[in-house]
Amino acid sequence: MTGGVTYLAGRGEAPGPGALPPLAESVDYIASLGKPTAASVLKAARDSGRVAIQPRCGVGGHQEMKALLRDLEERAAPDFLTLTIDSHTRLKRFEQALRTLNLSPGDLNGYPLVSHGYRRGRELNESVAAPLEIRHGSPDARILFDVAVASGITSFEGGGISYNLPYSKAVPLEESLTAWQDVDRVCGELAGLGLVVDRELFGTLTAVLVPPSISLAISVLEAVLAARAGVRCISVSYPQSGHLVQDVAALRAIPALARTYLPSGVEVHAVLHEFMGVFPKDRGHAEDLILYGALVARLGGASKLITKTYQEAFGIPDTRANAEGLRLADRANSRLLGFMTVDEQRVGEELDWILAEVAEIVEPVLAAPDTIPAICEAFAEGLLDIPFSASRYAKSGIIPKRDDEGAIRYLSTGSLPFSSRTRSRNSELLKGADAAGPVIGSLLAELADDINYFPILFQEMDSEVSK
Amino acid sequence: MSPSERRVVILGVAASDSHAVANHLIAHALRGVGFEVENLGTCTPVEEFADACDRHPDAEAVIIGSLNGHVHEDLRDLPAAREAGRITCPVIVGGNLSVGSKKDPRDLERLHELGVDRILSDPGQLVALLDELRAARTAERQLLVAS
Repeated sequence: MTGGVTYLAGRGEAPGPGALPPLAESVDYIASLGKPTAASVLKAARDSGRVAIQPRCGVGGHQEMKALLRDLEERAAPDFLTLTIDSHTRLKRFEQALRTLNLSPGDLNGYPLVSHGYRRGRELNESVAAPLEIRHGSPDARILFDVAVASGITSFEGGGISYNLPYSKAVPLEESLTAWQDVDRVCGELAGLGLVVDRELFGTLTAVLVPPSISLAISVLEAVLAARAGVRCISVSYPQSGHLVQDVAALRAIPALARTYLPSGVEVHAVLHEFMGVFPKDRGHAEDLILYGALVARLGGASKLITKTYQEAFGIPDTRANAEGLRLADRANSRLLGFMTVDEQRVGEELDWILAEVAEIVEPVLAAPDTIPAICEAFAEGLLDIPFSASRYAKSGIIPKRDDEGAIRYLSTGSLPFSSRTRSRNSELLKGADAAGPVIGSLLAELADDINYFPILFQEMDSEVSK
Repeated sequence: MSPSERRVVILGVAASDSHAVANHLIAHALRGVGFEVENLGTCTPVEEFADACDRHPDAEAVIIGSLNGHVHEDLRDLPAAREAGRITCPVIVGGNLSVGSKKDPRDLERLHELGVDRILSDPGQLVALLDELRAARTAERQLLVAS
């Protein structure tokens, strides 16, 4: 395929020839595609009370990517398909992405859309019926976003906090927040031209024991910024903790938070990420967890579910396992399962606590006149924080811990501006575990058990604590 | 530890390693018992440990975690940093120190040859080790003063 790959980027930062079509042309192209946008599929799912299903998938080569999308659609007909982007492209290392693509595309851990260019993006889009979403992890996704829009892709994941702190060590928040504001402003322009792009936020963060109020607080801040920039459809994703009441309450908190903090013209959808931590190895156990996650999404009223596969414990799944994960998750949509219920009183109590914790975290930041500098300052002081940050721009003074029932609580609240009421509830639920000076060895063993929660639950692994 | 006593350590994860969880837990636990922890976080090259030593000449130790089995390669620049006098305090390494589930004692020798003073397999021993190293240093100083 000599000469087959060129750069086609809009902002002159990427090397190589080529330009992108004007936004209006891309909007016309999307209208001519004859397939629904991501926003309309989300709305239809919510209106019909179904949870839409979506896999993660991405390979380097173009033909391989096309085959993968078609295969998944043929075998499992998901509501959405994904282009997971490779790490070089995520970090704007377009030269390296192109070199690897030409030398050995199999070494790429995703599809390098910028290197392939928007014409190939359109070809992928035209080869399947489901709308596509871009999933990546870029602190600055402006070029990637422009190529995605030109490709006719109507859903784009990420945010200035959630695609920085879990992925980059040394990118200042101000840089990533500003770059994502640009993406969101283009979404506003596109809305003016009649195309609503679904902007999904990455509430999963580091995917390790993320307390629901942290995930949701970060999403609220990103959503407020996105809405102000003109975004009309926001998907708030939340990572399954594993505790039924906590997860259902967290999903139900999303529309409530939208009513409180976002303008009424913005569509907001709840999205569940099936368990993102250590998966059980045994196929049956993994499938139990997949079905359980899908039922949680249904009970929580999620519009969409991002699925896992029975090969999760071993790495990136093959197409067959991916399709089977989708089909299994979709079983939770069955009309037969309407009898499944959850303890509404406990969910209601947990929901109130989640909303109170989120308010205590976000309201001081939103009260400042200028939100982006306020976010950066709050992170520098630990007033905003995430656990286990990869970035030095979050303090990670928060230490999460599972309570006796498996729900994720705060062992240490770091410098979060929590009320004494919130603090005492967390320490009561953790039985007053010594947050000030735990013994290192036992803390590590207890956290290891919390992280390996499902393999231990399925008795695939011994508890570190009981050793 | 008495409240007036200031004890500083430098903590980080080796250059090619992005495992954040144990790193943050160790920082949290050390702070909990009163240490001031300069946590350099994941993917920290030797150069950054040396820079931190410049900023904290009173640091008691540099503590380097590694879970991905590449610690020997990641610490390739440690002998030069020690020779240049940029890292003079004790260097402690802990974690999972080689690829594969069978451990070769030769791997630990190679770490000592690179300039690592102590190797810890159990993070629970960290505070005791820091106390031991400090006691040794104090004794050394007293000896110097006495002579």
